[in-house]
Amino acid sequence: MTGRAALAVVFRFQSVFGLVLVFAAAIVFSPHHNGDLVFLDSGNLFNVVRAISEIGIIAVGMTLVILVGGIDLSVGSVVGLASVGVAELLTANDWGLVPAVLLILALGLVFGVLQGIASARFRIQAFIVTLAGMQIARGLARMWSGGEGVSITYGDGPGQAPVPFSLLGERTFGGVVPIPALLFVVVAALAVLLLRASAFSRHVYAIGGNEKAALLSGVPVTRVKVAVFGLCGLLAALAGIVHAGQLNFGGPNDGTGYELNAIAAVVIGGTSLSGGRGSVFGTVAGALLVGVLDNILQLNDIDSNVQLIVVGVVIVLAAGLQRLRPATV
Amino acid sequence: MSGTIRRGAALVGLALVSAVTACGTTHENAPGASAGGAPSTRACEGAGGKYTIGMSQANLAEPYRVRMDDDIRKAAAGVPQFTVNFADAAQDNAKQVEQVNTFLTQGIDLLIISPNEATPLTAVVKKAYDQGVPVLVLDRKVDGDGYTSFIGADNVDIGRQAGRYFAEKLLPKGGKVVELKGLAGATPAKERSDGFDQGIAGHGITVVGSADADWLREKGQQQADALLKAHPDAQALFSANDPMAEGARLAAQNAGLGDLPITGIDGLPVPEGGIKAVEAGRLAATFVYPTGGAEAITAAKKLLLDCQQVAKKQTLPTRLVTRANAEQVYAELNRS
Amino acid sequence: MGDDGVLVELAGVGKTYGGVRALRSVDFTVREGEVHALLGENGAGKSTLLKILSGEVAAGTGVVRIGGEPVRFTRPADARRAGVAMIHQELDLVPALSVAENVFLGREPHTRAGAVDRRGMVERTREVLARSGVDLDPRVPVERLRTGEQQLVTIAKALSLQARILLMDEPTSALSPREVDRLFTVVDQLRKDGAAVVYVSHRMDEIGRVADRATVLRNGEVVAAFAARELSAARAAEAMVGRPVDQMFRAAGSSDPGGDEVLRVEDLVVRPRPGRREPAGISLTVRAGEIVGLAGQLGAGRTELLEALYGASGATLTGGRILLRGKEFRPRSPRRSLRAGLAFVPEDRRISGLALEHSVTAGTVLSIVDRLARFGMVSARRERNAARGSAERLGVKAGSLSAPVGSLSGGNQQKVVLGRALLSEPALLLLDEPTRGVDVGAKAEIYRLLGEAARSGVGVLLASSEPAELVGVCDRVLVLRGGRGLRELDTAAAGEADLLAASMGEVPMEDAR
Repeated sequence: MTGRAALAVVFRFQSVFGLVLVFAAAIVFSPHHNGDLVFLDSGNLFNVVRAISEIGIIAVGMTLVILVGGIDLSVGSVVGLASVGVAELLTANDWGLVPAVLLILALGLVFGVLQGIASARFRIQAFIVTLAGMQIARGLARMWSGGEGVSITYGDGPGQAPVPFSLLGERTFGGVVPIPALLFVVVAALAVLLLRASAFSRHVYAIGGNEKAALLSGVPVTRVKVAVFGLCGLLAALAGIVHAGQLNFGGPNDGTGYELNAIAAVVIGGTSLSGGRGSVFGTVAGALLVGVLDNILQLNDIDSNVQLIVVGVVIVLAAGLQRLRPATV
Repeated sequence: MSGTIRRGAALVGLALVSAVTACGTTHENAPGASAGGAPSTRACEGAGGKYTIGMSQANLAEPYRVRMDDDIRKAAAGVPQFTVNFADAAQDNAKQVEQVNTFLTQGIDLLIISPNEATPLTAVVKKAYDQGVPVLVLDRKVDGDGYTSFIGADNVDIGRQAGRYFAEKLLPKGGKVVELKGLAGATPAKERSDGFDQGIAGHGITVVGSADADWLREKGQQQADALLKAHPDAQALFSANDPMAEGARLAAQNAGLGDLPITGIDGLPVPEGGIKAVEAGRLAATFVYPTGGAEAITAAKKLLLDCQQVAKKQTLPTRLVTRANAEQVYAELNRS
Repeated sequence: MGDDGVLVELAGVGKTYGGVRALRSVDFTVREGEVHALLGENGAGKSTLLKILSGEVAAGTGVVRIGGEPVRFTRPADARRAGVAMIHQELDLVPALSVAENVFLGREPHTRAGAVDRRGMVERTREVLARSGVDLDPRVPVERLRTGEQQLVTIAKALSLQARILLMDEPTSALSPREVDRLFTVVDQLRKDGAAVVYVSHRMDEIGRVADRATVLRNGEVVAAFAARELSAARAAEAMVGRPVDQMFRAAGSSDPGGDEVLRVEDLVVRPRPGRREPAGISLTVRAGEIVGLAGQLGAGRTELLEALYGASGATLTGGRILLRGKEFRPRSPRRSLRAGLAFVPEDRRISGLALEHSVTAGTVLSIVDRLARFGMVSARRERNAARGSAERLGVKAGSLSAPVGSLSGGNQQKVVLGRALLSEPALLLLDEPTRGVDVGAKAEIYRLLGEAARSGVGVLLASSEPAELVGVCDRVLVLRGGRGLRELDTAAAGEADLLAASMGEVPMEDAR
């Protein structure tokens, strides 16, 4: 039984073990620079964490949606919308940092809630609702920006964004931790806590495991689903704000394809696309795994087309492993 | 279950550690980074050194950019001191920023970048420049002047030359034309269109209809279809690039306007490119939009091997390609 | 052809599933031009017999002969080639396709050009339909037909496959009386054409009308055979029940019928919806400590009544009223119903009762996580304690409380569902077929638990298709038919046979649809 239990742990945290493997491989295959391993260079590791922070934040929300048996294809477009929105508010509209950020977060929340209502209350498939949401958010982003990217410059003058917003970019908080990475870690930690110990999480898992049974057991299915979609939209908006801050730019076309990268991180993290099984924790490891993989492939100057193939193979492997997983929760 | 939490903490720790230790040995505070002034150049080792060049490409979905990478690869193959690493940002600004950062930790000696968009890439390009890494910006500019040299063609000028070709060769007596523009909001699309208007100004030519076709062939066909339905009296069609022009050709044929003159821009010297289309008679003319790949390697040689400066801006000339010279231009561009 | 025109012959056929003997040494024949009815309680072996004939399972022992030739079917395709067609209870038609397309699904005729020959298909379908005396437009999509018409399409499809032997499993369960008449006309035509029909049904009145012979199965054995004309509901019911009623039922029996009224339903009418037999005028009461049964044939509206009371089906009440503990109650959602003191154990625990991958703990405490939580957070320890308490009280046998509930036996899974319902401390417990697919030992325990719950003052409303269970466990039984209350029986006076007879429609009753 203990052997079986150990095996179950491996399967449950496959992405963590995968991450360790990829990390080890990265060390082995890392090129050298001035006698040091480039991969282990702290600047490089730093870069990896920052690189995945946006996708990671989105993937946390996506994990929740997928756990209830849904999917959210709109998150990439919401990133674009939020990045444009915050850039416009901070520059053209001269809003303060806090109101601008709060408004954009609220916008993401409302966008997600509306999608949740359409999918849970009116029973349109989440795939279709969020496919539509993806188009709508992209259209809104382009309308808001007039089709062109919005540059952010910093200062106190009119049309300039408050200087603290630039902390999201190249600068680091107190010269130590990059803000995007910090935000990602905080979001992930909160989500792990939420999913481990809240009554809400029991409802989330129950809906994904068997929606009808959950409903009959008194789970407020519609309400929970709407909340989950709302959270996912909120986190996508947060990622969009981070995006704008990192690039000093609100891009109406930015975030394209992020929804698929986020779904990939979720799947690699061992969350079942049919819902009811998985963890934010696995997703975080899945996102890191992809980040490390991308990094080591680029460090070795592997052709970008090959990189796509490698990530594809990892996704298939992760999904395949889940099928082999013994029936123990 | 508490085991999970412990493992969670470990991973969070890993992330934090990697972040925290970063400030210890990071390259970010490279020596010589100066605030706003001219960047320090690293000691030039000249022809005796070995050099790694990072090439950051905005995307490899457009044939033009694939050709740019190929041109660089081909030119660099002739320089034994150079190794070029390529990265493809797949149209993602954030990804391109990270890839440049990765190049920098890798310790590249020179950066060539064709930015996905100007503003989002400005900071990281400047960061490289401030660290003393020479930066050659191709095709699309970045903001400010935090780079070594910009190499590219002048889209306004190319548009203007196309306009002049309409005024002088296609419609010397004036007439009505329709226009296919590139991606709405993209700077090159606007520049080419503006240039075209300048070129035809005062020659009795009017643009009776125009549509955005996002640089894409199939979109070009759709939009040209609609334009030609609305304006069956159009005497010629100007397309802001070759693929849209090829789409327009199909639309013209379907509309029974098989001999409508259509011109494009780009003139890629590849079998499926615009030069061959001109040679085959599908397009009346195209204008070469050079990739600057070979020129970038020439500049890199000057900077790294010859220890010389290069001009801040190098504007590449375009060439008119017609049926008369198509074969010759194709051969020339594939020679080097 | 075999002797005496025997088309189908089973000789000493037996079948064992994982140690359970579903059929033991059964002899059974159907002649050409004969309709042979098969009777028996749930689990008597009827389905197994049909499955052997249709090739879904292979016979364990004995010989199956078709037209005198010994055959051994290992796949449904084998049976189809031998001319056997199964008319399923769930219709296997593609709703969006037309009648003709369904009849020729997978073997569409082609024109010389290689395209599907639509006109030919329609013509041939018309012929096949005409042959069985059915007048339907072959071009109409099946989803626009009524259930009975769809059933006729499946029969036409079988006939177009040159089937000589038709297996019909409760073909009238979802049909209106007029549709039943039409079906019987078709069956008569089949008989005249020399087909052999095996006809499974619970409705005794039908069997008298349509069948030539009847065979009764019990516990996998043939216990009686009749000429259909001699058949009466009472005789058949006795044969079907046969065994002595177990002591275990009475162990559950209550109680104190003098408790307060927990539930009063007066003339409940729910807006009808397709495919469901919604309540169309039901009155009943349940007192605290009382176990009231709901009987009736498949499609009588038992499940629909329970779901309507619990607010589980989004039903719209159009008439009558529901009083819960004396107060007017309008079911809106399961969540509200739970808060109001109802709990529900649904019919199919795998489909609507449990997330099989999740742990026993998660399955047990789901209805009360809100109550276990403090400031929205639940401690895993409190959940485990609650689950352990329930598992101990109900005698759930599980390797561990963190094992997936799907790894438990059917009886233990059912106890998890029941445990969840009881943890919410309901005033009224609604149960739909709580012992289906559960072994005898677990059944007895479930009855004991129901008895305990009743004695502690819970009102219980139990829907079941097992007369023995209803008579044994309940204080009173309400027989439903067509969404209406047909008759109420006091189990102190009435026996299983009375109940069966009542359910099977000895009492004539106008159908709702």
